[in-house]
Amino acid sequence: MSLRDRLVSFSMDKPKQVFYLVLALVVLAGLQIPSIQVDTDPENMLPHDQVDRAYHDEVKARFALHDMIVVGVVNETNANGVYNSQTLTDLHSLSSEIQKMDGVVRQDLMALDTVDNISQEGPGSIRFEWMMKMAPQTDAQVTRIQEAVARLPLLQNTLVAEDGKAAAIYIPIESKSESYRLSQEIQTVIDTLDSQNQYYMAGLPVAEDTFGVEMFIQMAISAPLAGLMIFILMWVFFRSFLLITAPMIVAMATVIITMGLLIGQGYTVHIMSSMIPIFLMPIAVVDSVHILSEFADRYRPGENPRKALAEVLSHLFTPMLYTSVTSAVGFASLAFTPIPPVQIFGLHVAVGILLAFILTIIFVPAYIVSLSEKRLAALKDHNIEEDDNSALGRLLVKAGQFSLARAKGLVIGFIALVMVSAYGVSQIQINDNPIRWFKEDHRLRVADTVMNAHFSGTYEAYLVLEKQDLSEERASLKQALTEAAVGDSAVATALSDILAQAENEQFQTYTDNLINVFDEASYNRPEQEALWLKLMAVTEDAQQSAKYFLTPEALEYLDSLQAHLNASELIGKSNGLPTLLKTVYRELNGGDAEQYTLPGNASAAAQTILSYQSSHRPNDLWHMVTPDYRSSVLWLQLKSGDNQDMSQVIELVDRYVAANPLPQGVEANWAGLTYINVVWQDQMVNGMLSSLLSAFAMVLLMMVFLFRSVKIGLLSMLPLTVTILFIYGLIGLIGKDYDMPIAVLSALTLGLSVDFAIHFLERTRAIYRETGKWQLTIEEVYKGPARAISRNAVVVAVGFTPLLFAPLVPYITVGFFLATIMAVSAVVTVLLLPAVMDSIRNKNALFGMKKEKQNV
Amino acid sequence: MSDLIRSLFLTAALAITPVVTSAQAADMTDVNEIVSQSNLAAYYKANDGRSEARMVITDGQGRKQTRQFTILRYDRDDGGDQDFLVAFSRPADVRNTVFMVAKHTTSDDDRWLYLPSLDLVKRISAGDKRTSFVGSHYFYEDVSGRNISEDEHTLVDTTDEHYVVDNTPKDPASVEFSEYRVWIDKANLLPVKIEYKDSAERLYRRVEVLEVKDVQGHPTVTKSRVSDLVSGGMTTMEFRFIKYDVGMDRSVFTERSLRKLPREWLKRPKS
Repeated sequence: MSLRDRLVSFSMDKPKQVFYLVLALVVLAGLQIPSIQVDTDPENMLPHDQVDRAYHDEVKARFALHDMIVVGVVNETNANGVYNSQTLTDLHSLSSEIQKMDGVVRQDLMALDTVDNISQEGPGSIRFEWMMKMAPQTDAQVTRIQEAVARLPLLQNTLVAEDGKAAAIYIPIESKSESYRLSQEIQTVIDTLDSQNQYYMAGLPVAEDTFGVEMFIQMAISAPLAGLMIFILMWVFFRSFLLITAPMIVAMATVIITMGLLIGQGYTVHIMSSMIPIFLMPIAVVDSVHILSEFADRYRPGENPRKALAEVLSHLFTPMLYTSVTSAVGFASLAFTPIPPVQIFGLHVAVGILLAFILTIIFVPAYIVSLSEKRLAALKDHNIEEDDNSALGRLLVKAGQFSLARAKGLVIGFIALVMVSAYGVSQIQINDNPIRWFKEDHRLRVADTVMNAHFSGTYEAYLVLEKQDLSEERASLKQALTEAAVGDSAVATALSDILAQAENEQFQTYTDNLINVFDEASYNRPEQEALWLKLMAVTEDAQQSAKYFLTPEALEYLDSLQAHLNASELIGKSNGLPTLLKTVYRELNGGDAEQYTLPGNASAAAQTILSYQSSHRPNDLWHMVTPDYRSSVLWLQLKSGDNQDMSQVIELVDRYVAANPLPQGVEANWAGLTYINVVWQDQMVNGMLSSLLSAFAMVLLMMVFLFRSVKIGLLSMLPLTVTILFIYGLIGLIGKDYDMPIAVLSALTLGLSVDFAIHFLERTRAIYRETGKWQLTIEEVYKGPARAISRNAVVVAVGFTPLLFAPLVPYITVGFFLATIMAVSAVVTVLLLPAVMDSIRNKNALFGMKKEKQNV
Repeated sequence: MSDLIRSLFLTAALAITPVVTSAQAADMTDVNEIVSQSNLAAYYKANDGRSEARMVITDGQGRKQTRQFTILRYDRDDGGDQDFLVAFSRPADVRNTVFMVAKHTTSDDDRWLYLPSLDLVKRISAGDKRTSFVGSHYFYEDVSGRNISEDEHTLVDTTDEHYVVDNTPKDPASVEFSEYRVWIDKANLLPVKIEYKDSAERLYRRVEVLEVKDVQGHPTVTKSRVSDLVSGGMTTMEFRFIKYDVGMDRSVFTERSLRKLPREWLKRPKS
């Protein structure tokens, strides 16, 4: 007894146990669902230990950088823009309220009221003061602020737009997952303020967290809506609640168990995983519909339903198994992408599909045997076999005739289509931007547009320059000290002890400690004073030259690089250590524009910095350089978060570095969310290609095995190949960006559209083997299987349509393209396969016709 | 009660005749008297003093930086104007940078900065004194002093060891705190702990005395710490080679001394 028979007879013998089993699984899984954790952080597209992500995290820690919410205040009505006392007063009170909120890193919050002004106050006098400690009351105070901001390159176009129409508050936050809550709290404060100004919120964290909240709502709407759509559609097809109930139960159970499994394992629900219910529902109903349709055909009232059921299942089991397994393979191939949320999505949909298959095989028979005879009779009344004169029927018969009559033309046409598609594929623009996951009229999209129109950009990328580690310096310092002490054995002995003790510290602390010890020794051992002081001098020299990013070489390189970047259209603005140094240096030297230069040597730079550190915000320095001056970061403000634009910025820097090599021992690396998005996209594109190729190979193998024929195996791959090329060609031609949802579609197309080819070829071969006549076979095929394929294509396609009404763009994209895929692959299967088969001369060989049959 | 951080800073650096207060003496109850005496105890007992400070600035991530400087102090009048000169010796790249303050009790202070590598003397405007002292968690006001008349004082508790005094600014717009509380050691009237609260009533800054030693018969703070409770950073300061009544006069504290350091007074005393 095969597994199949055992399963089927178990479900028919013990329907109650089957129901309880399914119910138990559903309850068990359903209990997991309340502990759902939504995760929309694009950073999680990369594994935690991925090298770029780990570096990004390390850079954030190194320079004490936080993710930021940016609040924009825009005044279009006042002639002076935001520079009026009312707007600045509102800005001031908004900023102070925000500083009181939990989850805000308040010491790093940047707004006019929290930053410092460095200014001249008479000859030889310099003044450090808050830019806007109190809200200004008079026009003179407002003008003073306006003039002060315009003088400070770190603030101009960052805190207030160059056109004066907008001001910004940069709110660093402790955790990205707090940003939706904070944005709500900020909105509450904004609502109490004067309406003369417009307020906007931007920044990737808000976009991501808001997406998460809306996604949750979306799931709660879309999934039931998809269920409803399928229910209505099946009602249209079958007009029988009795018939529809079983597929609906299978679909619901599949969805609940799969989601319960995902959540129960502790996985977070990412954008892709949130679509699992919508993917599974249409796929899950299809098999049950097959069984019920065929059963309704075969069952004669009064008979034992078991006989008809057994027949139906023996007939459908293999194609159902194969279509399920191929679809599962298509989804499971997503596990080959290096993107964890996509892997989880793919594997769980795959599990869901196989689960749907098993549930269909055990639940539907149990359901049928539990029906009373009266109900079974009623089932018969809803015979789903449509007559050949229905609209669909007539259309398909015509399609069959057309396919054969114009076989050559069709094949040529499809070849042309493939070529155009291939061209389209070559035109694909790989691009993504999480803000585009919202529709254009979404408040965040609007905020993004407005803010980036006024300011230098709300997207940040960090270019980190770092000097190699200090092991060489440490070794040569040791050597120099040892050599210096060699003449005095007492000092030499003491020195080696001292060196050994200080060993494990960072270079800066190591040298500090040595200096302290030498200082002490020079005082306590006056007879060796000169030698100790010499050792101290040697150490101080080493310490000073280790502060690489204070040297003119490093600062000038940074400065020229910044000048080059600032000249590019791609970059709104860059801030860095040279910007800070030049500004403070200018103010120390009287404030004239020609003094806006770098200090002439490392000590001058150090003293300029010491002056800057006498401000209210000395720690802002450490967002640009590390305390050991071994690493410095340039902040690039970009107006666009598009991956394409970021990639161009990367190329710009690469070209600059190629033409102007980095100083000896210095390397440059990228960090920042905008950059991270580019990284995971690259991984996604490459990952998708390998996942697609591996799925293609596996499905092909399975097809060859299923049909025991290489030729038919290859034929079965034809519709999906054409479909994939067509879909991606279309994406390339219409200029839709190849983004995350689009990337995921390839593997799905493969898994779903091969189903049609399996059914079609399987039946064609069976009919041909029976009749031996090609013409007759085609006629038959266009009456039966073609109709089933078309109907299934419609069920699945319509099942995805609720996605079209989603407020979030990735859902619309997936919904639209899946519906298109279903339609295209059904058409390709029905039109192209017969035409191609028609041009193959030896049909007996193709279909493995047995000799004796041929002789009949 | 206002010059509290300053007193922590300066009791160490500068000569202060110990306040002779016996533990058995009756507790004081007039808060203005306590504040005033503590201020006098902290600042106006000796004519001059020198001290070497080593400051270790630790950021929230535990990264350390060191600053080393010598402080000279001279009292023009007891309870009146004072002069300070801070000369940096380390790190080497800021060596000979000088910060000088002429503190006035009835008018704004005069402040100067000398940057040797820029060969530049700058007057620093007497704007806000609650800015960072050379990147540390100490404020300039902790060095040059906060006038006691700038705050309202309330005695909230008298324990066995301390007078606990709350202080609120008369002009809240001029400072970043909404109030601060000081624990004054009853034995020597040195403030030993100060805690600052912001406008949301959150504690965000703490100043503590970590070590007091007797120097030339004066109880002297030799180690103190300021903690930034928001970022987790802190600065500790140790004072060594402290000497009181070295005999400086006012001529040491002129603009000329910025470019040409008064080495005679800065050099380490041979004990």
